Amino acid sequence: MTDPDFRDAFRRHKDVLYRFAYRMTGSGAAAEDVVQDCFLVLWRRPEAYHPERGALRAFLLGIARNLILKRARDERSYDPLEDECSVCPPFDVAGLARAEIVSRAVQALPQLQREAIVLAEYEDLTLEEIARATDAELAAVKSRLHRARENLRRMLAPLLETKGTVYGTK
Amino acid sequence: MEPNDPQLRNLLHEWEVLGAPPSLEERVLGKPGPWWRFLFTGYIRVPVPVGIATALALVLLTVFFLRGRGATSDSQAGVTVNLKDFRPVNEVKIRMIRGNYAN
Repeated sequence: MTDPDFRDAFRRHKDVLYRFAYRMTGSGAAAEDVVQDCFLVLWRRPEAYHPERGALRAFLLGIARNLILKRARDERSYDPLEDECSVCPPFDVAGLARAEIVSRAVQALPQLQREAIVLAEYEDLTLEEIARATDAELAAVKSRLHRARENLRRMLAPLLETKGTVYGTK
Repeated sequence: MEPNDPQLRNLLHEWEVLGAPPSLEERVLGKPGPWWRFLFTGYIRVPVPVGIATALALVLLTVFFLRGRGATSDSQAGVTVNLKDFRPVNEVKIRMIRGNYAN
């Protein structure tokens, strides 16, 4: 990969990676670190990317995803990577802006559900692209998305018109 | 998102995250140098057809220039005179011819 190619790749994909990392980590500083490390990997090992296996965006998101998981493991080594968790803990929504509530709800999702919903909802990746980026089976991605939506509906019930369990009311 | 749940989709999109800050570009790509450094280290991308056409034009111009230069030098300095069969005349007869213009 030549220097101009690298610069071009950075300028085209930095925002997607930053948004993904920010939504996954909840921290701007951490997101910057992840994006920087992500492009460091691309610069050092450009041969790892095979264009015939998908777009560069999905490849970079996969690297970012692995870096985020590693950070999470390093920070909370005792916390298992829970994929089957179906009920998220409630949080107090009083006094928070709607965007802040949504942010907290997404942050409260288990890691694998969160990455699936962020990639599908905010970055508009297809199921196949999510499966490639997260190194998961298509069925697993569908399942994670389904559970993530259930959790979000439950947690965001106070902001949704549909009736359900209301969290955040004291 | 599931098509039957636009409400949740709209709600999720209320959480907006801006793109990467400018400082990140500096961290990854380094500080931008002075503009004239581009003259020494910069790259420009040229489409293949344009590159081929430019190369062909340069080759043709070079050939044309070299051939023109060769022809000029041949006419000026490349001709030699062979004096092997030269014989001096025995008697010089001078004959004056008066033209009309001499009037």
